Amino acid sequence: MSSPPSASASSSPPPCPKKMITLRSSDGATFEIEETAALQSKTLENMIHENCASTLIPVPNITGEVLARVVEFCSKHAEAGVDDESLGAWDEEFVAVDHTTLFDYIRAANFLEIPTLLDLGCQTVADMIKGKTPDEIKKTFKITTACTPEEEEEVRGENQWAFE
Amino acid sequence: MPIKSLIHDMRSRSSRAVHDGSAAAAAAAAEEAAARAAAEADCLSRSCWANMPQELLREVLVKIEASEGSWPSRKSVVACAGVCRSWRHLVKEIVKVPEVSGILTFPISVKQPGPRESLLQCFIKRNRSNQTYHLYVGLTNALSDDGKFLLAARKCRRPTCTDYVISLHADDVSKGSCTYVGKLRSNFLGTKFTISDGQPPHPGAKMPKSRSTRLVSSKQVSPRAPAGNYPVAHISYELNVLGSRGPRRMHCTMDAIPASAIEAGGVAPTQTELPLSSVEFFPSLPFFRTKSNRVESVSSGPLGSQKDGALVLRNKAPRWHEQLQCWCLNFHGRVTVASVKNFQLVASPENEPAGPQHEKIILQFGKVGKDLFTMDYRYPISAFQAFAICLSSFDTKIACE
Repeated sequence: MSSPPSASASSSPPPCPKKMITLRSSDGATFEIEETAALQSKTLENMIHENCASTLIPVPNITGEVLARVVEFCSKHAEAGVDDESLGAWDEEFVAVDHTTLFDYIRAANFLEIPTLLDLGCQTVADMIKGKTPDEIKKTFKITTACTPEEEEEVRGENQWAFE
Repeated sequence: MPIKSLIHDMRSRSSRAVHDGSAAAAAAAAEEAAARAAAEADCLSRSCWANMPQELLREVLVKIEASEGSWPSRKSVVACAGVCRSWRHLVKEIVKVPEVSGILTFPISVKQPGPRESLLQCFIKRNRSNQTYHLYVGLTNALSDDGKFLLAARKCRRPTCTDYVISLHADDVSKGSCTYVGKLRSNFLGTKFTISDGQPPHPGAKMPKSRSTRLVSSKQVSPRAPAGNYPVAHISYELNVLGSRGPRRMHCTMDAIPASAIEAGGVAPTQTELPLSSVEFFPSLPFFRTKSNRVESVSSGPLGSQKDGALVLRNKAPRWHEQLQCWCLNFHGRVTVASVKNFQLVASPENEPAGPQHEKIILQFGKVGKDLFTMDYRYPISAFQAFAICLSSFDTKIACE
């Protein structure tokens, strides 16, 4: 007697178990990430290839809070079948955070060598700067280094001409 | 407990104790501790950006420079250069000179040679009521648009000559101003002109002795030292063989640019900083940052070798169009109204055989409206020099209708 087609009716092979990597943050928290997602980080890629036996990678420079978000980012960007528009919207929401957090993302992306996240972070900062005067930029980024009177005058003259 | 609420708590405790003599000292101490805590909290939030690693800051600034390539948004690049020393240093490293990029960024850009690869399209607006001229760089390919303001010139008639004072400020056009860039002076007849630069065109340039350029001694208090007066070009106008019925002949000797500048591998002097008004002006003070890697093409001595003469520009001779009965030059659509003021300048082969480098149009000027003129220029002359040459065309009385 032939068996009826099963309810799932799909003839695709069962999914292969995905290799998981565990990352440990500076404060001891651990996070699981699929290897494919982790490969977006050149740093992690190198570590994975060097420590092929172990699947626990210490990430001493990054706190748990930030590392969790970075894992989220890499996982999202490794997902198949996400169209550019929705990924773009997701990215926009991802970076809609306070300055300190954004700065932490950029530092993490730099340390872990994640080009997509670094690009996104730096572009977000660039967009915050565009259109602002030097004083507005200093205020936004809380930059308070002093200038000599000559330097101030040079800058004032330049900006008067540029904003004319 | 978060720092802010700790401070609030300490402050409210200290205010309650203010009238009690013995508690006053305790209150003062509490206040001081609160202030220290506040300062520390402030420092933490301040430090994250101020301590941003240079390579990351550079990434951000590179993105801004690349995306804000045209005016008015280009002003963001100038703003970044005004934030603090480290930002300024990075921006000045990233921004390329107009010769290479074809883009004007800082005020000094108008003193630097134009693009090598193409003509930079600008336009001039004349205001007859106050005898001023304003130079703009075009934002689009249109003959004129909103433009980005570059330089202003004001005509000053004197008993024996006429001066056009050129400034970086649209409204403040005077020789004593810190935005003074240079001037054009004509002789009495309006046939010969001299372009003078307010700062040395290249290292070692000498200023001619004249009463108007007396130096201020360091003991005197002077808010604005007089600007320099370095002749950088001489222009002369002559009638051609047909007299006033034909187009006039222009001869421009660019004293500050060597003839070799237009040869393969040639360079033209490139200024890199504008003088600061509060700095007392000494002619030997170099305005070239030798440490800077922006100064790619500054000649090490005055005009290179002694055999290297100055670049000479002449106007391209128009052709007589028999059917139209007029003199014609191909302005490639950039000039639309016939006028004796219209011209195209090319490099003249003075002592050598003519080559392809003598075919390139270096400056083109012409009328497109009642008080509107286009000005297109390229390497090796700067916007300032081009503007001054065009002003002479307004002024000269040779062969005017």
